[in-house]
Amino acid sequence: MNSTEALMEKWEVQLRKGTLELAILAALQQRTLYGLELLKLLQSLPSTTITEGTLYPLLDRLKRDELVDAQWVQEGETRPRKYYQLTPLGNKKLTDLTRLWRQSVTDIEWLLANPGPQPLPNTGV
Amino acid sequence: MSQAELHNNEMIHRYLNDLRRYLARLAPHESQEVIREIESHLFDVLDQQAANGQAADVAEILRGFGDARQLAAQYVAHIEEGAPPPRGFRAIQSVKKSVTASLYFAMAVFGFSMALSLLFVAGAKFLLPEAVGVWSAANGNSIVVGFVAAPPAGMPEVLGWWIVPVATLLALGVTLLTRRVLRVLKQHM
Repeated sequence: MNSTEALMEKWEVQLRKGTLELAILAALQQRTLYGLELLKLLQSLPSTTITEGTLYPLLDRLKRDELVDAQWVQEGETRPRKYYQLTPLGNKKLTDLTRLWRQSVTDIEWLLANPGPQPLPNTGV
Repeated sequence: MSQAELHNNEMIHRYLNDLRRYLARLAPHESQEVIREIESHLFDVLDQQAANGQAADVAEILRGFGDARQLAAQYVAHIEEGAPPPRGFRAIQSVKKSVTASLYFAMAVFGFSMALSLLFVAGAKFLLPEAVGVWSAANGNSIVVGFVAAPPAGMPEVLGWWIVPVATLLALGVTLLTRRVLRVLKQHM
């Protein structure tokens, strides 16, 4: 692997780490899922792929922070599964993080859409 | 149950037992909850693999969870945040500290007694000029330093009265060096 690829990978890891909590809260939006379902959902998207070893401890932390709730449910013959859903606090956090995320995307998109050398309208740079 | 299934179950149980051991700092019901959830996940995946006609690959599933100790560490991390180090760790710290302390005192004793001996040799030259000196033996291939009952026969004495300033300066040098080493050691105590 050359150094550019290594740097890209590092950046991707950092980005994924930073957005993971938002990804999990968003995945649980108006939805009740158990660990394996949530894992498969996240693994089906290219930028939110995570491992079991990351997901479960993180769910544990979200539960301790009262952002998610969990219950054991047993349906028919299947083995009991632990289902997660957002709490009101989790919903609020999702709203807050969504706002920050969208702002960040808007800002970066704006910078990308406004290259030099023409001076920028507001800042005069 | 087939041989392969037995083997898979054994791998899973070994992993969960390791995990339980590393989760020992959680309350028993919390640790039990973690184990139960991961156990449910593992057997769910195995069932799905069987339903899809795939060969069960327990090692691959466990790889996703990672090393049991590291997985447990993530569950336990919140207990350690802002808390004083656990008892075991404190013991390790004091062992380390006492090693440094004994090293410090050993260094002090060694360095200063070396310097004292050199000063003693310098002083003794005045009292017993014949018995104190540096003698060269075997054409300089070997030397006898310091205090002897009788001057070695047939060996030339090298320093004469120069032994007094030489030993004094050496004593001073050793003292300074010892103090510097001790100062460095002290910073790491």
